[in-house]
Amino acid sequence: MENNVIEILLVEDNMHDAEMTIRALKKQNIANNLIHLKDGAMALDFLFGTGEYSGRNTQIKPKVILLDLKMPKVNGLEVLEKIKANEDTKKIPVVVLTSSKEHPDIEKCYELGVNSYIVKPVEFTNFIKAVSDLGLYWLLLNQPPQ
Amino acid sequence: MVGQNTSMVNSGYHSKEFMAEMWDTIKAGKIWKGEFRNKRKDGTLYWVNTTIIPFIDEEGKPYQFMGIKTDITENKEHEFELSERAKEIESINKELESFSYSISHDLRAPLRAVDGYALMLEEDFGPTLGTEGNRLIGVIRHNAQHMGQLIDDLLNFSRLGRKEVKKARVNMQELTESILREIQVGKDFKAEVEIKPLDTAMADQSLLYNVMSNLMSNAVKYSSKVERPKVIISSEKKDNEVIFSVKDNGAGFDMEYANKLFGVFQRLHTSDEFEGTGVGLATVQRIIHKHGGHVWAESKIDQGATFYFSLPN
Repeated sequence: MENNVIEILLVEDNMHDAEMTIRALKKQNIANNLIHLKDGAMALDFLFGTGEYSGRNTQIKPKVILLDLKMPKVNGLEVLEKIKANEDTKKIPVVVLTSSKEHPDIEKCYELGVNSYIVKPVEFTNFIKAVSDLGLYWLLLNQPPQ
Repeated sequence: MVGQNTSMVNSGYHSKEFMAEMWDTIKAGKIWKGEFRNKRKDGTLYWVNTTIIPFIDEEGKPYQFMGIKTDITENKEHEFELSERAKEIESINKELESFSYSISHDLRAPLRAVDGYALMLEEDFGPTLGTEGNRLIGVIRHNAQHMGQLIDDLLNFSRLGRKEVKKARVNMQELTESILREIQVGKDFKAEVEIKPLDTAMADQSLLYNVMSNLMSNAVKYSSKVERPKVIISSEKKDNEVIFSVKDNGAGFDMEYANKLFGVFQRLHTSDEFEGTGVGLATVQRIIHKHGGHVWAESKIDQGATFYFSLPN
């Protein structure tokens, strides 16, 4: 399953949220090179080429990581912390997508160096809009460091 | 007590350092003040507020001292009880906080799925489901969204209870105008809104924004069905207070139920008539009470309503 191009890495344990997110990105034609992982532990293995992803070419990096906060095993905050603490991965933009409007989470994420923080709206139309906008922004508008 | 020896019996409660500090102070010829736990001859313990004054001889050395003691055992017990209560309340608050966190996270996720999958159904199979099928999908989505709004409002309301009020001089004119610009973007906005010259207020700006925004949106909402909706916002100074009012010419309400206006989830109109969650005015009242002010309303059915709130100036 070695892709040479990965545009979006979606880390989301809720299958329904994942399906809705992927559908919204598909509508914008930006879900072609998307990888969906179901928990934080898998995300770390993938990014750092460990565990079931040992041997993966970690130089192939996603253009953006969409990260849920509340996940079993390794939660989003821990994943974010590891990504931003590592020289090799810290430049990958991370967008936290979460149900939580609670302020401690938002503050903590920004302290850890998150690039964007989105509260998933209950209303699906707004959800689609939020996901499409941020997908388009990070993939097409944002100029990453070379 | 006056003497050369101490009749103070260390109850074993105070540290060596505490006792040494006390004796060092007295030996140096200085006055010592503090709270001391003592032991009576019968062994019972009691607290005294103590001042010990040394008498100094020609060489500057203390030769005797006088102690003035007040029994503060009752105060101490009271203090202890209070601090225990404060700890208890703090832990209950923490629990509530994590409870509202779960609500906001765990309840919103399934609701998002209900609304999302209903819309997917509509998008992918709408044409084959017919008019009635599509209407039913609409009902599902509407209710999921309404419940989402309820959860958000309720969380907001409970968060206000814990929020600290940071008072400063607030320019009400600017605040009201910026709210107006925000609600004018909303759909079906057609009211004529007049903002009279407003006094400033001593209040927490963000909380007062919440109050004004609630009252103004209500005025616009409840007047949306009349021919020429009009909303007037004004203020007046009275005694040591400033009173702000938001007046509309809309549906109004029966004064008989005025006492229910500010209760959580209490509504005087059905959702068919006017949409709402019944949390807005409860929030308004909570904020104004936290400021030491009052909130009330006057109305007649079909003749509009005026909402007032006062703030100490």
